[in-house]
Order: sequence, then structure tokens, then C-alpha cells
Amino acid sequence: MALKGAWRRTRPLDRLLVALLLILCGVLLVWLRPGPPGSRVVVEREGTVIFTAPLDVERTVELAGRLGPTRLAIRQGSVCILDSPCPRKICIGMGSITRTGELLACVPNGLLVRIDGGPGVQPSEPAYDLLSR
Amino acid sequence: MISSAVDPRELDRQRRRVFLALFAALAVALHTVEALLPSPAPWFRLGFANILTLVTLFLFGGRAAWAVALTRIGVGSLLLGNLFAPGFFLSLSGGVAATALMTGAKAVAGRHIGPVGVSALGAAGHASGQLLVAWLLLVRTPALWGLYPYFLLFSLGAGIANGIAADLLLDALRDHPAFAGRLEREGR
Repeated sequence: MALKGAWRRTRPLDRLLVALLLILCGVLLVWLRPGPPGSRVVVEREGTVIFTAPLDVERTVELAGRLGPTRLAIRQGSVCILDSPCPRKICIGMGSITRTGELLACVPNGLLVRIDGGPGVQPSEPAYDLLSR
Repeated sequence: MISSAVDPRELDRQRRRVFLALFAALAVALHTVEALLPSPAPWFRLGFANILTLVTLFLFGGRAAWAVALTRIGVGSLLLGNLFAPGFFLSLSGGVAATALMTGAKAVAGRHIGPVGVSALGAAGHASGQLLVAWLLLVRTPALWGLYPYFLLFSLGAGIANGIAADLLLDALRDHPAFAGRLEREGR
């Protein structure tokens, strides 16, 4: 059997290493799993937020990137990229995202689409108050 | 070359040199062919070219493995036309991290580690190095690390498969005169 042959080709240290790496994978999967369904979509271009919209309003938008317009569809609580002027269309192939912390990126066009919990919840941003603003 | 007139040790050296060149060339070819395969995202690579780095590491040692890995990335990206493009730096960082881990593991564990373990470590190194540079150069967002476990799992699977392939190739090469006696023989 092929599997048995593969097992014979490994040494004890190999098995230990593979097991350790698999455990690391499992821990990371649990630790980094996406959060609850998000409520707001945020689009960034080179570090600045250029577009935000609630996830529960269905719409299609065109956003200007470095190369040209990227079409984004918000539908039934999920976001996907419909069209982008990038050469390899990887961002379209990334499918749709629904949960907090997930992201779509069109690297050639310089656009980053992510989902967060909404205007109130922004864990990574410092909370400005009236004085510091 | 007339072999009978040549010092047998010199012949052996030349043979091994030809094999090293062959491995580097094969690695470049696999690197290029693999880029033609459809993939859902640029980082989901099967890393077949790493088979040749592994075999080189086991037959020639760490320095030769570095030479094959760097030659593959340099010449491979020249052929693909993405030298110094973002994809090149991803490929380079992944390759350097993977080769560092693989040569390091072989140097530390020596005979106790086989191609499968080295390959799994290399795959994990490749995934980590690539994602680190992707994060530094392309998308500065912590959300990118959400992809890391999937990426790691996939590359681990590919790494194990490559390790087995490398072991098969080592078995086939073990009895070749150029390498006879060079490989440690251990009872399996």
C-alpha cells in the first residue's frame, strides 16, 4: 500500500517533526479563527481608509485603485470583488468574505478590503477623544 | 573525455559536478513549469523544485543546497520575467527561510532526520518567510495572519509529498557510481 510505503520512508524524528508542525497548525487554526459575522466593510488604499459601508445594505460600488476601478459587491452580508484591472485576477478568485478580520486584497491595484465589527468597535485603532483630535 | 586516461578521483569529481548542474537545471525547470499551473492564490505553490534542493542537500551537503536554491530562484524568475517584482521577493524570502531551516536541521540532526522531516520543516519555513515578507512589503494588516494556518497546513501537505518524492529519487541515485559510498547507509 502506498501509505505504508510512505510511512516506512520516514524516520522517528521526521514523524515527530511532522506531528509537531501539525499541532502548531491546529493551535493556530483555533487561535486565529475568524471572528463573528462582521457588520461593516472597510476599504483601504495604501494605508488610508477610502470607503466604508454597512454589510447589510446590498450595493455594488466602483473604487479607484492604482491601476483603475475595482468593482465591489456587497450582497447578503458578504463582500466580493467582481472585477479589477489587475493582471492575474487573484482578488476575484479569493471569493467572498463575511466575518470580522477576514480580508480580500488586490495587491496590484493597491486595494485592501476588510470587515470589522462596525463604527464603534475598532480594536486596532487608538481611541481618540475630543481633546487629542 | 577518455575516462581510462583520467584519474578516477578526478572523474568522480567531474561526475558529481555534472550531477549538481543537472539538479540546478531541473530545479529551474520545475520552478518554471509550476508557475504555469493554475493556483487559487500566488502563495499556494506545490514547491516541486524543492525536491531537487532536498536531494542536493542529502547528496552534496548544505553549501550545494544553497547554490541550487538560489540559482533556481534567480534563474527561474528571469525565465518567468518577474525578477525584482513583488512575487520575486516572496519567492526569495520563502526560499531563503526554507533553505536556512533545511540546512540547519540537517546540520543539527544529521543522520536522525530524513528527507520527509527536512522537507516538512522547509515547507513551514517557506510559508512563514513568504507571509512575513508579504506582510512587510504588500499588505500591512494583522488580518493577513488569519491566512497563516491554512497556508501552513497546505504547505505541510505539499512538503511531506515532496519529501517522499525526494526519498524515492535518493533511492534511485544511491547506487549510481558518482554517489556510491557517499551516502550514509542505515538499516530501515
